[in-house]
Amino acid sequence: MSKLIQILALLLLCIFTSGIYAEDVLIKNARVYTISDLGTIDNGYILLKDGLIDRVGKTIDFEFDGKVIDATGMSVTPGLVNAYTHLGLVEIGAVSQSLDVSTEDKLFGPSFKIAPAINPASTVIPHNRLNGLTHAIVVPAPGHQLFAGLGAAIRLENTDSLIISESVGLFADFSSLGSKLSGGSRAATYAKIRQSFLDAQDYEKNIEKNRSGDWREYFLPLHDLEALLPVLNADIPLVITAHRVSDIRQLLKLQKEFNLRLIIAGASEGWLVADELASAGVPVIVDPMANLPRDFDQLAARLDAATRMHNAGVSLLFTGVSWRNTHSAYLVRQAAGSAARYGMPVTEAIKAMTLNPALAFGFADRFGSIEEGKTADLVIWDGHPLELLTRADRVIMSGKEVPMVSRSTRLRDRYRNLNTSYPPAYRK
Amino acid sequence: MSQLLHRSIIWIGLITLTISACQSTNIKKAYVGEKNISLAAPFPSTYKRLSSQAVLIKNTTLLTGTGKQINNASILLENGRITAIGNALDAPLDANVIDAKGKWVTPGLIDVHSHLGVYPAPSHEASLDGNEATSPNTAEVWAEHSVYTQDPQFTLALAGGITALQILPGSANLFGGRGVTLKNTPARTVQAMKFPGAPYSLKMACGENPKRVYGERKQSPASRMANVAGYRTAWIAAAEYNRKLDEYKEKKNKGEEVDAPVRNLQMETLGEVLRGNILVHNHCYRAEEMAVMLDIAAEFGYKVTAFHHAIEAYKIADLLAKDNVCAAMWPEWWGFKHEAYDMVEENIVMVSEAGACAIIHTDDAITIQHLNQEAAKAMAVGNKANYEISRADAIQWITLNPAKALGVADQTGSLEIGKMADVVIWDGDPFSVFTKAEKVFIDGALMFDRLNSDFQPVLDFDLGVLDPEGERL
Repeated sequence: MSKLIQILALLLLCIFTSGIYAEDVLIKNARVYTISDLGTIDNGYILLKDGLIDRVGKTIDFEFDGKVIDATGMSVTPGLVNAYTHLGLVEIGAVSQSLDVSTEDKLFGPSFKIAPAINPASTVIPHNRLNGLTHAIVVPAPGHQLFAGLGAAIRLENTDSLIISESVGLFADFSSLGSKLSGGSRAATYAKIRQSFLDAQDYEKNIEKNRSGDWREYFLPLHDLEALLPVLNADIPLVITAHRVSDIRQLLKLQKEFNLRLIIAGASEGWLVADELASAGVPVIVDPMANLPRDFDQLAARLDAATRMHNAGVSLLFTGVSWRNTHSAYLVRQAAGSAARYGMPVTEAIKAMTLNPALAFGFADRFGSIEEGKTADLVIWDGHPLELLTRADRVIMSGKEVPMVSRSTRLRDRYRNLNTSYPPAYRK
Repeated sequence: MSQLLHRSIIWIGLITLTISACQSTNIKKAYVGEKNISLAAPFPSTYKRLSSQAVLIKNTTLLTGTGKQINNASILLENGRITAIGNALDAPLDANVIDAKGKWVTPGLIDVHSHLGVYPAPSHEASLDGNEATSPNTAEVWAEHSVYTQDPQFTLALAGGITALQILPGSANLFGGRGVTLKNTPARTVQAMKFPGAPYSLKMACGENPKRVYGERKQSPASRMANVAGYRTAWIAAAEYNRKLDEYKEKKNKGEEVDAPVRNLQMETLGEVLRGNILVHNHCYRAEEMAVMLDIAAEFGYKVTAFHHAIEAYKIADLLAKDNVCAAMWPEWWGFKHEAYDMVEENIVMVSEAGACAIIHTDDAITIQHLNQEAAKAMAVGNKANYEISRADAIQWITLNPAKALGVADQTGSLEIGKMADVVIWDGDPFSVFTKAEKVFIDGALMFDRLNSDFQPVLDFDLGVLDPEGERL
């Protein structure tokens, strides 16, 4: 009887653990881009245990009887991160019921938190995941004013646990859009940002009086001023879109004045002030393929801008390509390849879509590199990780292989053969 | 990037639906006399190839555009034409000999769907000239009359190996107007860019865009069924216009005294489609709509040359092959509209494997600079799904097949003796992310050279704009 209980208990334990923990996996014979001090290891191995990276190295000097993946001829990188997307906020752009990126409601400014709108069931998630994207920063877009609101960070899962941070940074716009939303002049945008922070400081200093309604009026409502406090306290970064050299310099002044954790997004002309960005320690979110002089703020946009900024010591976080940064957010890999084409070292280009965003947003203890103790979110590529002829062969999240299936692959398989007796609707 | 960062309406950028403030005027002017209705081509091409010395490119890998890869090959460009291809060619005495060992040579790349010049950069209130969204039928407008020749995007595309491109009106209307095929050569006038002898095209649009633009104004079309009624009504009028014109010509030929019919620009364009002289380029995403458009073409006796943005082409690849219609597609753009929801990454490969004419187009000023990369991505996804696509196959999607759709395949689009010497030397495998176009020849003349700033054109917009003494880039 006790034997039976033991067996049952063991069985239950197995069922229980298999639901939570992945089977141990050994990936061997791979070229491993660790994006860590371990560098890039030829014919290396990665041991995955309990959903985490357990060991990484060159020579396997231990016994292993779990699942083995022979990755001969393949390479492994950390799962890719796109640092600027609307993933989960938009299923179809022109279908308003499936579009949640911004609000026109004047009730919300900096306090507009986008996380509750993220839809784990979006078809956009598996499509990107099977192409190697495992994490993304999800940003709100400005609706009626220059502050867009609070962005989130997600893991590309189709469950509610996909959100890993509901408040990853405050997003704002100091480009031509920001000017337009501030009455038509960038001077007004600047004044508004600065006054918002001054007011938030004043609000915090007099917080008790404010809460009892015993203080002065501000142009932002109190809940918006509250939302600015973690930015002022440098708990979260201010991520602000800006392109023109003079605008970037104004933002660097604000950074000093308020001691902000500043991240600049866009930065088409950032390469002209790369030294200033580097010495201010300001990371830049950039699409390395965005070289069009799209507006008069971006006249100096060029294809080697990312490489120039990297060479000056700026920490880069990649996004792209262009407006496809959501539905095909995995194209950040093509964007990274573009930076590498213009001279950025391959591992640095990979770092800009793995470790750098993890560092800038405070997740480097969990993902972004292939190191012991980090979550086993990896991509096995069937060739050079930046090459266009390379595809993701397997995507592993928390140590488990992700099914390489999306709505798109289902449609492909359905229509692969057009000569069948029954209509396609009978092929599932 | 401004489009990318912080624009909830980023999607609009793609569907290029910017409403022009201008009112369209149907210019109706009575002309008398046969000369005036002879449709002698106005705005003729004044393009002239630059004179250039002979060029022998040797020791290279050729992707011919006709489905072949030739290793250790040489190619000779003389008097604007390709005059020899072989493994060991002798250079004429005056030839510029380029040792292209380790490099690759392809035909010049061709984009069948571009709005360069009509949506130039920088984009602003006054620069949006691509959509005459004032009436569902604006067949009377011509994209070439909007082209800003100093659009800096032309030279960026040249640096990506684009030697010819079709500039189209936008997709707000059922009939958007005439498109024009240009040589990607810097010029002072649009006429000097026009591809000599290339037929005109007519831009038509299915689906969401026309019905949204006019439906929102409580005008017709507000539904897909009204779209179709709109096309058919217009074709009936065009057939009648042609009939009257033919009747007039017949009487005139018999020596009868008759007044010439009043010219109608809209009907001239539509009428020439029915006569087979203008090619139909039809923005159309959904499978059933493409099938309906093919039936309309059959009803009125014209041909659809290519469906553009054909997201669902894979669903009807057999129909496209049977009717010999091209499909111009993207590798992975999707989700910006409901009709762009059923994207499969293998679309291009599936259409190609079905025996239809598969084209990769861009509709985008960034992607046009990397058209070779678009082909590489489509090839990669196809091979991962166990289709067997070679580089020699895939290059056709961006060279010969677009040339066919533009009606210029007898002139360009492949490396064949006698064709225009529109040629790109790549500094490596054009399917690699690390490769750049190194030299671009158009009609045998070196128009771009990454290694020599004398051959890096700077358009007027780029001159002195950031630095009074320098250039933008």
